[in-house]
Amino acid sequence: MQGFALYPFDPPGDIAALRADLRAWLASNQPQDDVVSRANCWASFDPDFSRALGAAGYIGMTLPARYGGRDRHPLERYVVIEELLAAGAPVGAHWIADRQTGPLILRYGSEEQRQRYLPGIAKGELYACIGLSEPSAGSDLAAVRTSARETAEGWRVNGQKIWTTGAHLSHVMLTLVRTEEGSERNAGLSQLLIDLDTAGITIRPIIDMAGNHDFNEVFFDDVLVPHGALVGERGQGWKQVTAELGLERSGPERYLSSHALLVALIDATGPDPDPALATLIGELTAEMWTLRQLSMSTAAKLAAGEDPMVEASVVKELGNAFEQDMPRRVQAIVTSGWDDENDLAKLLRALLIASPSFSLRGGTREVIRGIIARGLGLR
Amino acid sequence: MSAARDMLCDTARAVFAEAVTAGIAPVEEAGFGLLLVPEEENGFGGDWGDVNAVLQIAGVVVPDLPVAELIAGEAYQPAATVSLMAGAMGQALTLSIDHVNTRQQFGRPLGKFQAVQQSLAVMACEVRAVEAAAAALALRLDAVGLDASAADFEIAAAKLRANRAVGVVTSIAHQVHGAIGFTEEYHLHRVTVPLMRWRGAHGNDAFWAARLGRQVAALGGHGLWEAMTARGA
Repeated sequence: MQGFALYPFDPPGDIAALRADLRAWLASNQPQDDVVSRANCWASFDPDFSRALGAAGYIGMTLPARYGGRDRHPLERYVVIEELLAAGAPVGAHWIADRQTGPLILRYGSEEQRQRYLPGIAKGELYACIGLSEPSAGSDLAAVRTSARETAEGWRVNGQKIWTTGAHLSHVMLTLVRTEEGSERNAGLSQLLIDLDTAGITIRPIIDMAGNHDFNEVFFDDVLVPHGALVGERGQGWKQVTAELGLERSGPERYLSSHALLVALIDATGPDPDPALATLIGELTAEMWTLRQLSMSTAAKLAAGEDPMVEASVVKELGNAFEQDMPRRVQAIVTSGWDDENDLAKLLRALLIASPSFSLRGGTREVIRGIIARGLGLR
Repeated sequence: MSAARDMLCDTARAVFAEAVTAGIAPVEEAGFGLLLVPEEENGFGGDWGDVNAVLQIAGVVVPDLPVAELIAGEAYQPAATVSLMAGAMGQALTLSIDHVNTRQQFGRPLGKFQAVQQSLAVMACEVRAVEAAAAALALRLDAVGLDASAADFEIAAAKLRANRAVGVVTSIAHQVHGAIGFTEEYHLHRVTVPLMRWRGAHGNDAFWAARLGRQVAALGGHGLWEAMTARGA
């Protein structure tokens, strides 16, 4: 941790032009949804938008052209992602496939898996979910019990996943399963890419406290999955999953999920704010600017092939705190009725209710702080 | 870091160590006042990235000497203070980690207790944020040829972020140290007291927050993102 310097964020090509092209594209293609869908927009599911975005070349950007990708640099993708989030575009449908599943299939997957799944991901047509948590394995992910036994016909999968975001809208689940009978903790785990229309899979909704259906419980009842569904090496599931979580923790979504609220606050305030509002806007801006530097530096380090596990956790911890703090502080200072229907009031209500989840998804605050502490040499 | 900056930092460590007892004279004699003066004007050259690195060392070793004033003029003092603060915060973290890994209570090092681990993780996040702010501000100042007015947004954001970290960093550092950290003999106060002072120097939280807030309000809601991306990366 000591002697930290920013890793240079230096994408190839004309980044100003990349931003300008995407902003122009969004101006004519972003649906004029309700303002609430622009907050927490990586949970806004819009397959039409995803297909259009894929056709325009903004999904699966870093994948090789032979798999339908665009051969772009990871930091070019980063720029695209931060622009989409800042605009509040509904990127939820393809979000996980683009961010995690595609890169993971490219890195660990077989040639058959790459050809089968990557082109659909890049088109914005094939969506994925992540099967990690189970009823008895939340923060303690190494306690997963869902089993896969190898038979002559393929893998027999039995067990249950829970809190699976988007399972009801996805085509595939990247599933962490126990392939070695009698194995314990993080040994004997593997990843299977399971088509969700396979017989024996039951997906049931779990409605969240905002009234939304985002996550699900997924049951596997003697599900037969082909041998070719194994991703990467048998028994190396833990290593692959932890690498994948690094991709999940440090992205710009950790500080830009609530950007729509800051935009609405500034617009409602006008160009001549009173001192209290100016102070709030100033403090939120300073935090956001700093988070952007940290996130870009971490992305650059990832792109250079390093493993910035601790830095990624710092981005998540600070980003979550910023995004949970923002609606509370806005509410403390802005006069706004709970049921008011102006943009600011609607965003405020939605984000106050959504914000408890920010420090739960992708690793709880306590787990993340534990990772940072280990990075400091404390465990 | 470049080899040249590594050498500069080695020199700074040696000279500042001498200055702890000798005062500012050896720092002047070593020519730190010529940092940022172009080589063709018989200076040392260098950029704000170098100044940032040197002042982070000064913030730890000689927090009470006017090293920042020797290197840069009034317009740069808020930026210089961010570097001093980043250095002092890094040292407060180092001292805290060393202490909790050494000090034993209840039969094990303090650092084995989850409550202590979680506190230090919170502190480390703040320290890293300020280090990032100092580094990003240096990039901006160097990109605009050290024109402080062209880096006004970054100066405000970085100084404000550093100010806001002071309370968390100093309180956790002292809390995990216990009574020994409150003594004159132990050197934690050599970084925490300057941090308290620097928070109020060259613009406290209210000053920079109001200034940055007014600047952003004038940009408008979407203007903030456009301005931020136009200014870097």
